[in-house]
Amino acid sequence: MVFGQLLLIAGNAREGLVTSTARGATGAISRPVVAVERSLSGILVGFVHLFRDLHADETERVKLQQEVTRLSGELERRHALDVENDRLRRLLGMREDLAPRSIGASVVTLRLTDQSRVVVIDRGSSAGVRPDMAVVAWGGAVGRVVSVERDFSRVRLLTDPGSGAAGVILRTGAAGMVVGRGGGAMDMLYVPKYDAVALGDRVVSSGVDGVFPRGFGLGRVSVVGEPLGASKTIHVEPEIDERALEDVLVLLEPRGTTLLSGDEPASQP
Amino acid sequence: MIVAWAALGIGLALLLDLGLGRFAPAATRFVDPLLLPLAAYALRRSQRSAMVVGCVSGLLQDYWMEPRLFGLNGLIKSILGWALGAFGARFDLNRVGGRFAAGASVHLVAIVLDAGVRHLFGEAIAPIPAWVLVVRTILGGLLTALVLAIVGKVAHVRGPAKGPRRRA
Repeated sequence: MVFGQLLLIAGNAREGLVTSTARGATGAISRPVVAVERSLSGILVGFVHLFRDLHADETERVKLQQEVTRLSGELERRHALDVENDRLRRLLGMREDLAPRSIGASVVTLRLTDQSRVVVIDRGSSAGVRPDMAVVAWGGAVGRVVSVERDFSRVRLLTDPGSGAAGVILRTGAAGMVVGRGGGAMDMLYVPKYDAVALGDRVVSSGVDGVFPRGFGLGRVSVVGEPLGASKTIHVEPEIDERALEDVLVLLEPRGTTLLSGDEPASQP
Repeated sequence: MIVAWAALGIGLALLLDLGLGRFAPAATRFVDPLLLPLAAYALRRSQRSAMVVGCVSGLLQDYWMEPRLFGLNGLIKSILGWALGAFGARFDLNRVGGRFAAGASVHLVAIVLDAGVRHLFGEAIAPIPAWVLVVRTILGGLLTALVLAIVGKVAHVRGPAKGPRRRA
């Protein structure tokens, strides 16, 4: 039995017939349990939301109205900035960076252990999800799709020890590689020791890795380590709270990440 | 009938595992509900049945939660079922203290084996803080003792089961 398991693990690399058959059979027999769990979760979540709605008081409503007013002003300001940004982009000859096409997905379950940090979402190959697509949530990047079934996908979170994303410190433009450390923390590696980095600096995706588009929040600098050789190690606290993930977006194409090729004409002014 | 009870136990454990991941994901760092049927079969039944239950529950966990090494949890839980079944055959672990010790041990050894096998297959591994090991060990022991007490009550109400069974 143990030998069989070892063969199964070894077969992962080649995705052989035995591994895929065993995986398919295991999935088929456990689907009813997951369907029951999803139904029970839906009922429970419905009750929680109902209870929360019933206790939403007048103060909350007034606070939300004020927030809407503030956000409307902010939106107008952003619109003005977008126009200016567009003009400057054209001036610099950069290609138009459109918002990536995406689909929404709900979280089925999460596993947040030290060695494996995975989230299962309810969209699979039937919805157009493919491996290596980026997954984001309100507030920042979540992770990358690693395997896809027909109706669901497994996403490796950025804090998983096997994860990595190209990042840049927003304030200074210092670039590095953000890797998971397990246990909900991340490190930013290969940042030159002469680059200025301060506590609280925001780290966003640089788009160089071809998975995450530019500008998605990865985290904030929490510790700046002593330089080791030519670079320094920086600890980064994740931008999003993985434990509170409920809905995510799967980016169907990494728009804005590909670099301009030599023969590509620059955008017209 | 034995197979049906084993399937029910594994199904409930999987349900608990998925539910924990949905509503209290931080708890998945400390508790592995799919170790519970393994411990129950190792202490109440035979070494072979514990190994089979461990293998099946591990593979189910792999299918849903292990994107890289399918079979990893199956392997770990098969080994744990074999080892705990062997201990259960030699020592009387079917008391509160023994159940706690068995649950605590499997939860502790599982996390160490997990890191070890991943390292063996070239996966990146993260250091495990000592406090996580301590909390996991204690919680695992308590949960196992609690679940086995409930299983004992249910088995008492149902009456003696057919098939190989350990002395309580």
